[in-house]
Amino acid sequence: MRPDASPLVAALAVGGVLLVGVYLVAVLDRVVGAVVAGAPVRVGGLLAGPVRAAALLLVQRYRGTERFDAPGWALAPALLLGLAAVALGLVPLGPDLVAADPATGFVVFSAAIAFVMIAVFLHGWSPNAVFPLHGAYRYAAQALSFQIPFLLAMLATALPAESLSIVEIVRAQASIWNVVRQPLGLPLYLVVGLAVSFWGPLNLPDGADLAEGTSAEDAGVARLLWQAARAAMLVAVAAMGAAGFLGGWWGPWLPGPVWVLVKSVALLVVLVAAGHLLARIRIERFVVVAWAVLIPLALLNVFIAGAVLL
Amino acid sequence: MRLHDALRWLAADAPVPVFAVAGAGAREAVQRLRLSEELRLVDTPRAGSVLLVAGGIPESLAEPLARVHDALPHPRCTVWWGPESEGIVARFPDSVLVHDDPVGAIVSAHRDLLAGRRRSDPPILPDADPAPWRGVGPYGQGGSGMTGGIPYGRPMAELGPDRDGLRLDVLPVTVGPFFPRFPVGLALDVTLAGDVVVDATVHPNPFVADGSPPLAARPGLAAFVRALAEPVRVAELELARAREHLRWLADALVAHGLPSLGSRVLRLAARVGPGDGASVRDLARTLGWTQVLRWSTAGVGRVAGEDARGIGGPVARAAGAAEDARAEDPAYRALGFAPVLHRGGDAADRWRQRLAEAAQSLDLAARAGDRRAEPRGRVESPRGLLTPESAATTRLLPLLPPLLAGQEWGDAVATLVSLDLDLEEAALVARQVAGAVVG
Amino acid sequence: MGGADPAGAAERVHRGGGVAVTESLLVDALFWLFAVGSVLTGYRVFRTDSMVRAAFYLLASFAGVGGILVLLGAEFLGMVLILMMAGEMLVMAIVMVMYMMNPAGLNPMWMVHQHRVAVAAGVGAFLVLAGLALVADFPDRPNPRPEMATEQLGIELLGDSMLVFQTAGVALLATMIGAVAIASRRGRYGEADEGSQEPPLAPESDARR
Repeated sequence: MRPDASPLVAALAVGGVLLVGVYLVAVLDRVVGAVVAGAPVRVGGLLAGPVRAAALLLVQRYRGTERFDAPGWALAPALLLGLAAVALGLVPLGPDLVAADPATGFVVFSAAIAFVMIAVFLHGWSPNAVFPLHGAYRYAAQALSFQIPFLLAMLATALPAESLSIVEIVRAQASIWNVVRQPLGLPLYLVVGLAVSFWGPLNLPDGADLAEGTSAEDAGVARLLWQAARAAMLVAVAAMGAAGFLGGWWGPWLPGPVWVLVKSVALLVVLVAAGHLLARIRIERFVVVAWAVLIPLALLNVFIAGAVLL
Repeated sequence: MRLHDALRWLAADAPVPVFAVAGAGAREAVQRLRLSEELRLVDTPRAGSVLLVAGGIPESLAEPLARVHDALPHPRCTVWWGPESEGIVARFPDSVLVHDDPVGAIVSAHRDLLAGRRRSDPPILPDADPAPWRGVGPYGQGGSGMTGGIPYGRPMAELGPDRDGLRLDVLPVTVGPFFPRFPVGLALDVTLAGDVVVDATVHPNPFVADGSPPLAARPGLAAFVRALAEPVRVAELELARAREHLRWLADALVAHGLPSLGSRVLRLAARVGPGDGASVRDLARTLGWTQVLRWSTAGVGRVAGEDARGIGGPVARAAGAAEDARAEDPAYRALGFAPVLHRGGDAADRWRQRLAEAAQSLDLAARAGDRRAEPRGRVESPRGLLTPESAATTRLLPLLPPLLAGQEWGDAVATLVSLDLDLEEAALVARQVAGAVVG
Repeated sequence: MGGADPAGAAERVHRGGGVAVTESLLVDALFWLFAVGSVLTGYRVFRTDSMVRAAFYLLASFAGVGGILVLLGAEFLGMVLILMMAGEMLVMAIVMVMYMMNPAGLNPMWMVHQHRVAVAAGVGAFLVLAGLALVADFPDRPNPRPEMATEQLGIELLGDSMLVFQTAGVALLATMIGAVAIASRRGRYGEADEGSQEPPLAPESDARR
């Protein structure tokens, strides 16, 4: 994964991390769910649970809905998974331990986030059915509202680094982490991060009121891929949060990559726990809050970060 | 081939995804399955491997049930749990029949299915094209003009006034009768403009019509139906009321995206006894802690003022109307009963109302001793005033169309859930009325 | 998938320096992939029978152009193009569906008007441009690949042309705020979620639509 390593090695490494991350999200989700439900926590069952559930989905055969859009339906989970991989590939494990460090890393990340709405819309639109389509429309409203605050919160971290490269953003946090320097940043990022990965309280496109919304018609491999892609997106959001706000590889005693891992998992636990404890938010409330509260707060955050810099 | 066998072997130990349809008398039993570790109740038939048909499903729902069945991916099977009698959908040819605990039967049927010892259910309905269209029209696009005629057998959407004063297309759809957030049998014809319900009409109650199963009060409500005609211990009534409220809350939490909290409440509902009011108040504090649930239900589905009068039950009391048949009962008066009230009458007030009432009921049950409520031909059921002529659901259903119109779909579902409709109870009353007229 | 490959390409471009033979082959392969992909998806925009599909084909075509920009060393511009097009195409698809009475854009429809004229114009324009490209005498002065392309772009935008871009930026921001204000819940015609009616045309008449 050093700069001179071949693209193939980098791609394999990102894929491996993604796979482990998805499994981790599935286990975390089950553990937190069992604790919240007051059910017994059986370690063996919880560890094997995701694998068994995945195997069950892999043996299912399914013919699809009436007149569905086959390319779109197949492409959507692959696209979402690919976007998660792009976002994760930008997260450095160490000063020169990163799959890709383009000078415009932040813009690449933004483009990946913007394409999430294409993936979700395609996923909801393709099955030619009511609830998925409804979820797709909903996510369009959600996405157009969350993108500005999400990117502004992330953009503020680029100011102290004076660079759009993610590695530089982490490097600039050597003395003081952004979570201290920009106290507004991380909470904003996490709230909107839930919206980006449509998880928990902001799982509006796949919500229970739509009988799973965009995935209501998914079965078998398609369902497995979509669930995995959602979890991968959550992993990418958590890892990028660790890099952007929690100082990435910086930390005492432990080697850098371990710190990245610890911080990412900590953020993952917060995100997953929020999914089990916070009720679904109304789309209208979310849109109003995003435009009227989150954007001004994120702008304030950027202005303060800029003022400190000057 | 070996990989496939390994997958099947792994899959055999996974919790079985079950799409459950709870017919007459089976609501509580199906809900209890949520706590089973061997099963996982799913929201859409596409996610299920086993279709569980519990209790009696009216014959009029045979076709929707068959469509649900055909939506399950292969390998699939059906487990039929409960009675076989007149007025019930005939059992599907290949289904497994169980009378007692279904979990074992579901798990073993699923294992057989994966091991190839059992054939995957063939479809019931013919897989036919609703309307051939390809090749019609000047460019083969399905009709004349740019957008064609009626390809797929569906006409073009129609324009409707939008709430911003525009005229945009609307989508007429039918939701139900097996939509997991609605009580079984409830179907709505909804016209949607994007996320907004323009118009909603309620289908007639399928449990009332001819060709529906014989009805008896389901276990959770049996005490209240008995109390119409005979003295019943106050402690029994109040415990049943508290449990029914908690079971409602468990479903409502699932609808609000909190299934694991829902399971916690369900466990509590099975466990509570007289005097456990404190644990319900703890639960209310837990739910209120983050304010998110309250924030996302505040102002939703408001039934207040004149609308709330005469409805009775928690819906009216959440709007400040002190309508409670218990206040007229000497046994309750001796206990110093006064109805709990909230003021706003929206969905947030309704769930707080039911939690407060559940806690109050458990306190009452502890203090009631051996007091009995006298039969007066009217009793306060968990949903409101129940008489041989009227049930709360009968009074609530006509409110639905004006209440849902103009709401976003998520809010419409939250509203419906918060009203706690029960078509069976309504049908029980309606049939008695019809019987009395005929008799 | 628009984001995936340009990201890798951008990385290699950024690391520049001694360009290995395999890398230049990879860049060539990516260029042809993006170029042919853009043209093909651009063609499909007109051959598909659904508004939503057309919008997504157009998006794929733009993403390919963005990828080529990245290969040319204009990383920032390429990625911003890809970033902006995602939102724009989605909004375009939804607005088209909203107004066309075609449920979800899934009923097939014919996507072109006056297609003979359009085909002729398209082919003509292509021939003229391609001819120009072949005939014209382009200067042959290869510049060194800029190491800090983004920074140079920033200095260009915010140095000499700062006033122009700042003015445009403020105007756009004002437009956005205005658009949001008009579309917000408390709009011209009252609360948006309580239904609204236009005021009557003549002040004294109460006749509404």
